Amino acid sequence: MSGPRYHRTRRQDQRLVGFECQACGFVSFPDEKRICKRCGDAPAEFRDVDLASSGTIKTFVIQEYLPDDIEVPQPLAIIDVPQADGSGEPTRVYGLLTETELDEISVGCTVDVRFRELFDEGARPINSVKFSVPREDKR
Amino acid sequence: MTDAHVVGAGIIDFGEKYDWSFEDLLEGAYLDLVESVDYGVDPTNDIDGVWYGTLDIANEGSSGAAVAHATGLFETPATQIVNACATGSDAFRNAVQAIKAEDIDVALVIGAEKMLDSTEGLIGGAALERLWRGRGVTMPAFFGMRATRHMDQYDTTREQIAAVSVKNHENGTKYPHAHQQFECSVDDVKESPTVSYPLNLYDCCPVTDGACAVLVASDDRAREFTDAPVRVAGYGLSTDSFQRGDDLALTNFPASRHASSTAYERSGYGPDDIDVAEVHDCFSITELITYEDLGFCEQGEGGSHIDEGIPHLDGEQPINPSGGLLSKGHPIGATGVAQIAEIFEQLRGEAGDVQVPDAEVGMQHNIGIGRNATGAVSCVNILER
Repeated sequence: MSGPRYHRTRRQDQRLVGFECQACGFVSFPDEKRICKRCGDAPAEFRDVDLASSGTIKTFVIQEYLPDDIEVPQPLAIIDVPQADGSGEPTRVYGLLTETELDEISVGCTVDVRFRELFDEGARPINSVKFSVPREDKR
Repeated sequence: MTDAHVVGAGIIDFGEKYDWSFEDLLEGAYLDLVESVDYGVDPTNDIDGVWYGTLDIANEGSSGAAVAHATGLFETPATQIVNACATGSDAFRNAVQAIKAEDIDVALVIGAEKMLDSTEGLIGGAALERLWRGRGVTMPAFFGMRATRHMDQYDTTREQIAAVSVKNHENGTKYPHAHQQFECSVDDVKESPTVSYPLNLYDCCPVTDGACAVLVASDDRAREFTDAPVRVAGYGLSTDSFQRGDDLALTNFPASRHASSTAYERSGYGPDDIDVAEVHDCFSITELITYEDLGFCEQGEGGSHIDEGIPHLDGEQPINPSGGLLSKGHPIGATGVAQIAEIFEQLRGEAGDVQVPDAEVGMQHNIGIGRNATGAVSCVNILER
């Protein structure tokens, strides 16, 4: 990911902020748009919403075959993250898993948000959210 | 309004064609088409328009000028179509629309992809760095997500998913243009190296060079080329994204449902009327969920559908008699065109060792994933003899 692309999503990458469509309730993350992906409202009115610091795995994979410079295994999930105050709808995001044993990952399990370095682009590490199975749940 | 009819098809053997340039691929498919049209075709006089499908992964063939370079069809309007893995089928759809609009009478649809010159860039680095803000969504991961969820939600087994690959590899050994000419067992699939759990190597299509061309003509012109034209009965195209919150998009592809519904509606046919189909099996799981999305079985029953042998070559509704992408290969721009070519041969009774008896109505289907990797584009075409 290049410098300009990092800059464009810095707010979402550094805080758990989503964008709720006031017409249909869809929560966009990390995309900050003026058009709603679900209802097509254009221009849509979006409200900033704080996201909770944990979510639920909807499905996942464990990537084993990747280019040589990427660490494997690389678990990746689709995760529903609710709003912090419990209102409205969750947002549905891709999330890399970290600090988690592979056999702890399952559909339906709870994962906590961790702020981590996503990828190191040389001089400019990209920091954003990853997820991990909560420590108290670990065997 | 006129109908559109497929009146000829040409293809080269798919494979690792290191001795062929990108332009050689196009030239080969085009020449095979010219030589195989029943009553012949006079290229420079007969062809009114060219729809040319390629992602141009080799970076040698962007714009209609590239296809004119390869075929000699300069001065003829030529348009490059790019629509992810639905590129070839959408090129065909666009040509059909132009004929049905009576803007032209005879169209060349040609697709090609040189995959082997730049595989790493396509599959690895590009996916990881450029897809979805660096979160690392590769194609095997994107489709593997559906497999994990489908197994969890519907008790689909690993063996049922693998059985799709077993079936298509067996078909591929009987199809002369297929890249991978070997059979494999369920255990072979499960024991092949893990690419992205739960998918293993033999759940994934190979990396393949290839090209294919078909000729499409109006009611007025079709019988100049053949006594056995194949009519385009319907088509549809749609898009989706899992981000929109529909749980169905975690296991399946709503876009395939929309696209096939449109194609069924236009054609007047339903899922039970389809005698043979070439569907998108970039990964084994993709075909299994596509049975559900195209209405060949109920939601969640893709696993039992393959267990019952229905999509096998000798089953009630054979799917991917050519071996599918899993065996034949997936040179992206050529893939959909090659599926059209196979359905054309099936409906004319010219499909050789993979012929489905008395096939009258056939379907072609692709799923494509854009570089944002949250959703799909699906294209469906229905043909009849």
